[in-house]
Amino acid sequence: MAADGAQAQSVQTQSAAAPPANGAPLLELRDVDASYGKVQILHAASLAIHPGEVVSIIGPNGAGKSTVLKAVMGILRPTTGQILFDGQSITGLRPDQIVRRGIGYVPQGRIVFRDMTVAENLEMGAFTIADKGRVRPLMDRVFTVFPRLGERRTQRAGTMSGGEQQMLAMGRVLMSEPRVVLMDEPSLGLAPRFIELVFEKIGELKEAGMTLLLVEQNAAKSLSISDRGYVLELGRNRFTGSGPDLLADDRVRRLYLGG
Amino acid sequence: MDLLQVIVSGLLLGGVYALLAAGLNLIFGVMRVINLAHGELLMLGAYATFFFYDTTGLNPLLAIPLVAAAMFAGGMVLQRLTIERVVGQPLLSSLLLTFGLSTLLTGVALNLWTTNFRSVVYEPLTGSLGIGGLSISRSRLVAFAIALVVSGATYVFLRRSTWGKAIRATAQHAEVAQVCGIDVGRVRLVSFGLGSAMAATAGSLVAIVFTFNPEIGRVFIGKAFAIIVLGGLGSFVGAFLGALTLGVTETLAAYYTSTQLSEAVAYAVMVGVLLVRPSGFFGQAES
Repeated sequence: MAADGAQAQSVQTQSAAAPPANGAPLLELRDVDASYGKVQILHAASLAIHPGEVVSIIGPNGAGKSTVLKAVMGILRPTTGQILFDGQSITGLRPDQIVRRGIGYVPQGRIVFRDMTVAENLEMGAFTIADKGRVRPLMDRVFTVFPRLGERRTQRAGTMSGGEQQMLAMGRVLMSEPRVVLMDEPSLGLAPRFIELVFEKIGELKEAGMTLLLVEQNAAKSLSISDRGYVLELGRNRFTGSGPDLLADDRVRRLYLGG
Repeated sequence: MDLLQVIVSGLLLGGVYALLAAGLNLIFGVMRVINLAHGELLMLGAYATFFFYDTTGLNPLLAIPLVAAAMFAGGMVLQRLTIERVVGQPLLSSLLLTFGLSTLLTGVALNLWTTNFRSVVYEPLTGSLGIGGLSISRSRLVAFAIALVVSGATYVFLRRSTWGKAIRATAQHAEVAQVCGIDVGRVRLVSFGLGSAMAATAGSLVAIVFTFNPEIGRVFIGKAFAIIVLGGLGSFVGAFLGALTLGVTETLAAYYTSTQLSEAVAYAVMVGVLLVRPSGFFGQAES
């Protein structure tokens, strides 16, 4: 991709903007191109997430934010470029194989198995856990993070509110004990109190040391809880920097934060 | 008393129908493929049972697990070679493909086994039992019991086991099932095998209860469609109730009018339900 030679601008050169010095990234995209049919969405997109980091991808509609996550998950195969997890290529693997490697994914639109109970949904989240004796303790742990789910364990997921379904989708991903979790627009279309709750829970996961990659249209909120952020525009890296630096940057503010 | 006799007889018939419809439903749920060759899978099961009995002379019920296992394997091969290629394609592709398979299987069977009607007449399964003033055909009673056990076992498997739940999860949302770590390709493979085995078991029961020839597939697929329309597409319990309803309706029609007319009943029921209540009577609207 010669045309994309210009690398993303770094917003600041403070040490906070640099990835933690402790070695290799957990998840890395190297010059990934991806297309839907004939329409190329990603143009040499590159990013890296280190263990324990919370990283946001922001950018306008159509920037390819969700596509980055789909490419990582193997839902969409990159046409060129490489995706590395823990130093090994996962490019071209099936989604279920990628989940088994330790990557969790919360798809956009709070999708749950509607005709299954809350407990069954969580059980499906633990599909890759070979030792079925561990499913119960994992489920109990999800219930401590999301007490509401514990109260509704026998309720059919389709009968819950949108916010509760998003909690369930987030709880479900934890069941596979992922080493990194990708979340696609977790606050999209939720009532304000649930938006608060979603970000509160993401904050709790961060405190617990979870590595997270967030795609959010709510850029300000998302950056404020992130260690670092990437600004994507038309499938290309545009800016990158620490959460606070991006929030403070005039260009980013003007273009993507509506201020 | 006549009426009760007819109704019981119809209910017993419905059990076999239920097994056929449940397999069709399972395949549709997981693959969004309407398997027009489902009746031919039944027909193959019937012939396999016939040949088992014809060569060994053993109780034809012993053939059921063998035939089911063989069709489970055969169904998986068929899925991998053909059906898998139309998954996610427009419905017309899979309809044409399975229509082609149906015609092909019927044609081959006609060539091998002619249009002659066959049946499995095993002495201990003939005759009737008198129960409370009703005369109940022994073969129908046995067929009903087996159909009930196999349907029930499948239901419990889908409800309770991890693999069964994975099948349901895939039917509800394949992409999310996949990012739960479920290999949905394998789920499709196993589901088609399972659906084929259920059709073949229904075929074994048909061989014991009725006479059959290579063309019965078409008769039975019509019944299966009527049942699914009655019960609501994708609903296991709905299909079961629909099957019993069809069994009774058909038997009543045969008793009070003629056998020829009873064949048309399935279609009349289907058209009627589609006009009045297109989502079916028993299945709740499932997403």
